[in-house]
Amino acid sequence: MKISQNNGVPIYKQIADAFRSDILAGKYQQGEYLPSIRELAKDLRISVITTMKAYETLELEGLVTASQGKGFYVNAQDSEMLKEQHLRKVEESLTAAIDAARIAGLSDAELIETLKALLELQEP
Amino acid sequence: MEKNIIEAKNIVKKYKNFTLDVPELRLPEGFATALIGENGAGKTTLLNILTGIRMDYTGDISYFGEYSDKDIFKNPEIKERIGYTGTENYYLPHWTMKQIDDLQGLLFEKYDSAKFKRYCDDLAVFGGKSFDGSKKVSALSDGTKTKLMLAGVLARETDLLIMDEPASPLDPLMRDKLCELIREYLNSGENKSVLFSTHNISDMEGVTDYAIIMERGKIVEQGFVEDLKEKYISVKGESRDAEAAKSILYTMTSSNYGFEGICLAEDLDKLAGLDIVTETASLFKISVAIMKKNSLIK
Repeated sequence: MKISQNNGVPIYKQIADAFRSDILAGKYQQGEYLPSIRELAKDLRISVITTMKAYETLELEGLVTASQGKGFYVNAQDSEMLKEQHLRKVEESLTAAIDAARIAGLSDAELIETLKALLELQEP
Repeated sequence: MEKNIIEAKNIVKKYKNFTLDVPELRLPEGFATALIGENGAGKTTLLNILTGIRMDYTGDISYFGEYSDKDIFKNPEIKERIGYTGTENYYLPHWTMKQIDDLQGLLFEKYDSAKFKRYCDDLAVFGGKSFDGSKKVSALSDGTKTKLMLAGVLARETDLLIMDEPASPLDPLMRDKLCELIREYLNSGENKSVLFSTHNISDMEGVTDYAIIMERGKIVEQGFVEDLKEKYISVKGESRDAEAAKSILYTMTSSNYGFEGICLAEDLDKLAGLDIVTETASLFKISVAIMKKNSLIK
């Protein structure tokens, strides 16, 4: 996990993002515990409250559940929610692309063309 | 539910030209708390009261939810559970390392001599050489004396560490190590807590969970760092908007090239229409802004 101190994204968000990707990618089994808050803070060289906030963010999203005195474990990922999470990511990335296109002065048609061209390149 | 390791009420200590007045203080259990403030803000006075070094104050303090400051003499075990390092070296100059080791063993039941020597090694108190029992305190530099005090306090089994300006005499590398030691300490048990005062906010930010900011004998702001970072936001803008922003920003500095300052998140709406960028403020920036607001320094 790479944490940047000054890229504008709050550190707790960077941590939450990294764990979210890992959980959605299936790197954590259902019921598996995330590293303990204090252990993670020590390893990432950040404060305890920041890791705590990262975990609470994931909990709010329904990805993990807090268990009193034992830490946070990964929830069963139902396919509906998984899809929702992935969809959100797609929307976020496309919004970023639209912003960049506006700056570059691309027309909507040109942007759609670009997307199509990229999609074709991806075809196996 | 969140627990407090120390709760203090109506702490008042009057000096000739200065009054420490803390109506309420809570230290959250399981976290590192930084006490921040200008020189003379009352940090050391407050720490000395909390550690029982200074007893001429009024008010009530409870420790670990079970002990009161009034029975500090009846309950020696409370002292076993608290470790303290001050700004001044409390080892006498002519003491040898062996005497210090023996003395700490006599004073504290849960003192581990082997651990003390290991920390001395880790922190290179003897310049990379192994523990030298005949070495005198007077032969050590200021920074090394601080390292020695840290080794002494970490060699004990405690639940709360209180440190007055531990970072000040230390070099950057050792400050980094200090942060690591604090994280290790917090990680060594569920309920370990740390309270330290500091001027080196940036160096210590990575280990600070909760911040208490003092000015002129009063606590002017306190909270979890992550909450403070939501309450205060850093704002930068063009110089033509400086006048309009001035009344809304919490604190502001401006130059020919633009202005920057700290804004309360709740006031951010009022800046709508101005050409500004906002970013998460560092604890350093937030602290300086709050201190500025309350300081006598013009």
